[in-house]
Amino acid sequence: MKKTSKGKSINLVALATVCALTLSLLAGCTGGAPAAASASAEASSESVAATAAPEASSTEPSASAEAAGMYYDAAATVESIVKDAAGKGMVGNWGLGNEYEIQALLSKYVQPTTFLSQAFDMDGFDDDSILLASAMTYNELGLVKNSYDGGYKYGDKVKAIDMNDEGVAMLEDNIFCTEAFAKANPNTVKAFLAASMKGWKYACENPEEAAQIVFKNGSSVSSEHQAYMASEVKKLVETDTKGATVTEYGKLDDAALQQTLDLAKKYIMLKDSVAADKLKAMTLDDIRDASYLAGSSSAGTPEKSSVSIQLKWLPQAQFMGYYVALDKGFYKESGLDVKIVPGGGDISETTAVYSGQVDFGVTWVSNLIAANAGGMTLTEVAQVFQRSGLVLVHKVN
Amino acid sequence: MNLRSSMNPPEEISVRIAATQQDVSNPEAPAADRRRFDAENLTTLLYPIVFGVLILILWQTQVLHRILGADTFTLPLPGRILTIIADNAPEILMNARATAIVALTGLLFGSMLGYLLGVIAAVFPKWGIGGLTVVSAFNAIPIIAVAPILNNLTKDFSRDADTRSMLAKILVVTLMTMVVMSINAYRGLTELKPYSEDLMKSYAARRTDVFFKLRVPNSVPFLFTALRVSVPGSVICALVSEYFAEYIVGVGRQIRENIVLAQYATAWAYILTACLMGILLYAILLAAEGSLLKGRR
Repeated sequence: MKKTSKGKSINLVALATVCALTLSLLAGCTGGAPAAASASAEASSESVAATAAPEASSTEPSASAEAAGMYYDAAATVESIVKDAAGKGMVGNWGLGNEYEIQALLSKYVQPTTFLSQAFDMDGFDDDSILLASAMTYNELGLVKNSYDGGYKYGDKVKAIDMNDEGVAMLEDNIFCTEAFAKANPNTVKAFLAASMKGWKYACENPEEAAQIVFKNGSSVSSEHQAYMASEVKKLVETDTKGATVTEYGKLDDAALQQTLDLAKKYIMLKDSVAADKLKAMTLDDIRDASYLAGSSSAGTPEKSSVSIQLKWLPQAQFMGYYVALDKGFYKESGLDVKIVPGGGDISETTAVYSGQVDFGVTWVSNLIAANAGGMTLTEVAQVFQRSGLVLVHKVN
Repeated sequence: MNLRSSMNPPEEISVRIAATQQDVSNPEAPAADRRRFDAENLTTLLYPIVFGVLILILWQTQVLHRILGADTFTLPLPGRILTIIADNAPEILMNARATAIVALTGLLFGSMLGYLLGVIAAVFPKWGIGGLTVVSAFNAIPIIAVAPILNNLTKDFSRDADTRSMLAKILVVTLMTMVVMSINAYRGLTELKPYSEDLMKSYAARRTDVFFKLRVPNSVPFLFTALRVSVPGSVICALVSEYFAEYIVGVGRQIRENIVLAQYATAWAYILTACLMGILLYAILLAAEGSLLKGRR
C-alpha cells in the first residue's frame, strides 16, 4: 500500500503540473497582455480599421445629449449623438467591408474608428447593447420602425443619421463583371445592362408590383416588408447623394464615385503591402467603364447568351430590377437567358465573379475597390444605387 | 518509453496496478534495441519534414497551382504570405493572443468540468451512464449553432463588449471540451485492470482509497487521450466562435474579414497563424504527456 500511495502522489503531482502549466501559459498571455495590448491596441486597434482618430477623449461625451432618459433628445445634434455613442463604444456595424462610411463619420467628429460587430438582425439595437446601430434605409430601418411581422415596432421612437447628409456617402449596389469578360463579350454586357435598366425603370414605376414579383421569386422576408423595401430602394435609385433626381438609371456619377474612392483609400486598411500600394495608386479608370452603359441601346447579338448574376444578399426588393426584368421577359427580348444567383451571409460576390462561377455581380463599390487592390481585375459597368442607403439609427427619449 | 520504466524498479509495483497491459512485462533492453529505436524516431520525424518541404517547393514554384487548377490569387505564394506575417507581426500576435486566451481558458474550464462530470458518473453509475449520453449529445450540436446563441445569452453579463464576447467565446470552447473530457474521464475511472478492484477489496480498502489510489491514477492516461482531441478542438472552437462575437478580435475573425474582402494573401497569413497555434499547443501537450506519463505507455 505504501508503494501505491507513492504512485498516487506522483500522479497527483503530474496532474498539478499539467494544471500549473496551463495556468502559467494563460497567465503569460494575460499578464503580458495589458502592456503589449494597450500599446498595439493604440497602434493597430482591434478591428479591420487600424487608425484610431487623434486621441478622442472618451471622458468628454456630453451629458447634454442624454439630458433626460437613457436615449437621445429628438433635437440633439448629430455631433453630440455620435460623440456620446462613440465615447461609450456603442456604435455598431456589420463589418466585412460595410463599415467605411461609419468610420468616415466617426472620423469627421474626431472619434476613434472602432465599432461593435453587429449581427444581421437588430436585436443588439433592441436590447440597448448598441446605441447607434447601422441600418439600411430599405431594410433594417423598416424593421425597426414598422410593426408588421418581424418588425420591432419603434415607429417615431427612433431617428436616423443619413450618410448622404453628413457628406460621407459611399456608393453601394452596382453591376460589375471582370474586365476580360466585358472585353470578350461587349454585346452581352450591353444587352444585359439595357434589359436590367429596363427592369429597374419598370420596378421604380410600379414598386408594389415589383415587390410582389420579388416575393414570388423566393423572398427571404414578408411581402409587407418587401413592399416597404421596394418603395425605399426606388428613392436610392432615383435620387443622388445631393438629393437631386436622377433620370438615367444606372448612371456612373464620377463625382460620387470619386468621393467613394477617396473615402475607400482612407479607410480600407490592407495588411498586404502589395495590395495597399495598389489601392493608393488606384484611379476611377481602374474600377469603372461607362462605355457599355452608354452603348447599351445599340447592342448587337450577344456573344454569350446564357449568363448569371450574383446578388450581394438574399432575394429581396433590393434587387427588384433584375427580378422584374426576368419576370417581364426583358432579358429574353434582348436574347439573354439570365440566371439570378442569390447571395447572403459571407458570400463573396467579387470572388464568385472573378473565378468565373457567375458572369455579373452586384456589390458595393468599396468592396470592388478592395478586391481590385487585392489583385482582381473587376470593372463596374453600371451604378444602380445613386446614393448611400446606410444610416445610423438611434432611439429618442 | 518501456525502456525507462524498467530502469526504475521501485516504481514498478505502483506502475503495474494502473499501467496498460503491454507494459506489464518489460524485457531487458539491449543496447542494439535502443539504437534501432532512435533510428526509427529519426525517420518518423524525417518523412513528414521532407514531404512538407516538397509541398512548399511545389507551392512556391507554382507546380501545385497547376496540379490543383488554382491561381496565385486564391492560393498566394508562401513567400508573399510570410512577408505579410513579417510586416504585421504585432497585430497578428495580438489577434493570436486573443484566440489563445479563449482556447486555453475554455479548455481549462471545460476539462475540469468534464472531469468532474466523469467523477459524478463514476460514483453514481446508474445515473451516470444516462447522464453522459445526454452530455455527449452536446457534441452533436454544431459550433456554428451554439456560438450565436451563447452570444445572445451573455449580453447582460457586462456592459463591456470585449468582456461579454470573451465570455461567450470561452463558453463555446468549454461546452465542446467538456464533453470529450467527461466521457474519457468516466472510462478512465471505471475501466480498471481486471482483478485490480478485487485486489484492493482484499486489502480491505475503503471506497475513497479505491477511488484515489486506483481509479484516479488509472484515469490519467485517459485524461491525455481526451486532451489530444480537445486541444486542437479548442483552437477550432475559438476560431469559429470569433466569427459571431460582438467584439472584433481574433485570428478566426480576421480570416473571415479578409476572405470577404477578397484579401486572400492576408487571410492565408492568418490561416497559417491558426495552424501554427494548433500545432504548438499539440506539441506542448505531447511533450507534457511524454514527460509525465513516462513508463505508463
